[in-house]
Amino acid sequence: MIKIIKNIFLPDTFTLSNGKVVKEKFNWGPYITIIVIILVAICSVITKIDIPLFIKRSYHFTTMIQAMIPPNWSFMSTMAKPMIATIMMSLIGTIVAAVLALPISFYCSSNPAFKLNKQYLTVHRTWLGLIRTLPVLIYAKLIALIFGSGTLSGTIAIAIFTFPICIKMMYEHIETVDMGPYEAMLSTGAGRIKSLRCSVFPQVKGYYYSTVLYNFEMNVRSAAILGYVGAGGIGVLINTQLTWRAYGNTGLMLFVLVITVIIIESTSRYLRKKLV
Amino acid sequence: MITVEEQLKKEPVVWYRVVIAIISLIVIFYVGTLTIEFKGVNQKGLEIAINIMKGIFHPSIELITDLSKNGLLYMLLETIAIAFLGTIIGMVLALPLAFLSSRSITPKAVNRTGLLAISAIRAFPSFVYGIMFIKVTGPGPFAGVLTMSVTSIGMLAKLMIESIEDLDHGVVEALDAAGCSTIQKIRYGIIPQLSSNIISIVIYRFDVNIKQASILGIVGAGGIGASLIFAISGMRWREVGAMLLGLIIVVLIFEYISSIIRSKLATGE
Repeated sequence: MIKIIKNIFLPDTFTLSNGKVVKEKFNWGPYITIIVIILVAICSVITKIDIPLFIKRSYHFTTMIQAMIPPNWSFMSTMAKPMIATIMMSLIGTIVAAVLALPISFYCSSNPAFKLNKQYLTVHRTWLGLIRTLPVLIYAKLIALIFGSGTLSGTIAIAIFTFPICIKMMYEHIETVDMGPYEAMLSTGAGRIKSLRCSVFPQVKGYYYSTVLYNFEMNVRSAAILGYVGAGGIGVLINTQLTWRAYGNTGLMLFVLVITVIIIESTSRYLRKKLV
Repeated sequence: MITVEEQLKKEPVVWYRVVIAIISLIVIFYVGTLTIEFKGVNQKGLEIAINIMKGIFHPSIELITDLSKNGLLYMLLETIAIAFLGTIIGMVLALPLAFLSSRSITPKAVNRTGLLAISAIRAFPSFVYGIMFIKVTGPGPFAGVLTMSVTSIGMLAKLMIESIEDLDHGVVEALDAAGCSTIQKIRYGIIPQLSSNIISIVIYRFDVNIKQASILGIVGAGGIGASLIFAISGMRWREVGAMLLGLIIVVLIFEYISSIIRSKLATGE
């Protein structure tokens, strides 16, 4: 018994018939498992996990879902406009961010043909990375204070948040591109911008459109919650209807949201498969 | 002999695509202006923007050095704990779902249902789950953990399905030929192939979850979010600056660690 436990933590040694000693490869698995278990224990103390309470009161979750079914269809006319606004917010935010991101992503890629120096790249990638660290909701809250609450703030927040993501996805792809055509065009006397447009862009075009679609898909989902901080869209309605306990209306909104997201997701997946 | 001119004439005609693209952009922006109302910059907008910047560069020292439960460090710790537990529980829930919905393992009817379930779980905004779980557990970090674990399922399961579908069946067949039992096949044929992929997926999701957990507080589900939003609404910019700085640093540290671990896992170290 002790030997089995010892073998879990320390590599086992075997002596072969010819007298050679073979040592098993050292395995980190058990140590990592123990560390994770300890961390889980610490975290459950910090977050006040209470499983019995959850089991005892979990019926509240199901009753809430039951209250949402059937959804209140007459609410459709009220929610149509915010729903369209949510989609438009994410669509326009994504398009603006993607258009701005394309030229910059060329100047953030460490492709040897572009001859950009290391320090320059590090500086630009760092500030773009810093924008990415904060969640979109915090931008929305700050921008709603500056531009006033409404869909405009949501659009700007989405654009700000999507911009660095697009750049990151694009420059990583541009680094893998074949630079032969670019150098060939330069040698025929074409300018840098023209050679980028005609030799590099066609190679990354498919990936660029698929990045835009992917970000749009993500943004529709995040735009739905921007309303909580007053940045417009369907979030405002979901919030008020839930606080008024109008579960039928909430159910309808969630239903429409789920259907919209699934439709956008499957269309974008189909298009992206075609593009790449 | 091909001249340049001849070659140029052979170029496909694509101007109509450009026209279609421009027209659709105009339509999108026109519909956009109907729904997105421009009210102009808030009168105090510029002042607020300057104040935000000032706050970020002069963070409140009292908040950072406060070690009690209202201090910055405890709030960040709570946020990390919510993200960590949420990721672990999410992984436990996502694994069976991922196996059920992989095309290479289960029949078509089962995996289609599984994929639909994953899409449906993903489509709900996290705040709705947050509010629902607060009904169950009352406001606090426990609701945050439950919300995180449910919202992690979607992405975790999706990425796991990809790695499960990429499994090399040759290994399992070889073990079968060597006379291994089912448990041995799983232990020596499937787990070694999957574990590094799944660990790297989970670590990636943990990164995302730290960001997510930092906003859950807005609906009262614990973490730094509630105090951050209150501080922004109350225009206490120096506290906002301290919290944003703390959040940025935590996210960057975890992103750095996770990128190291993931690149080690990817190279098979």
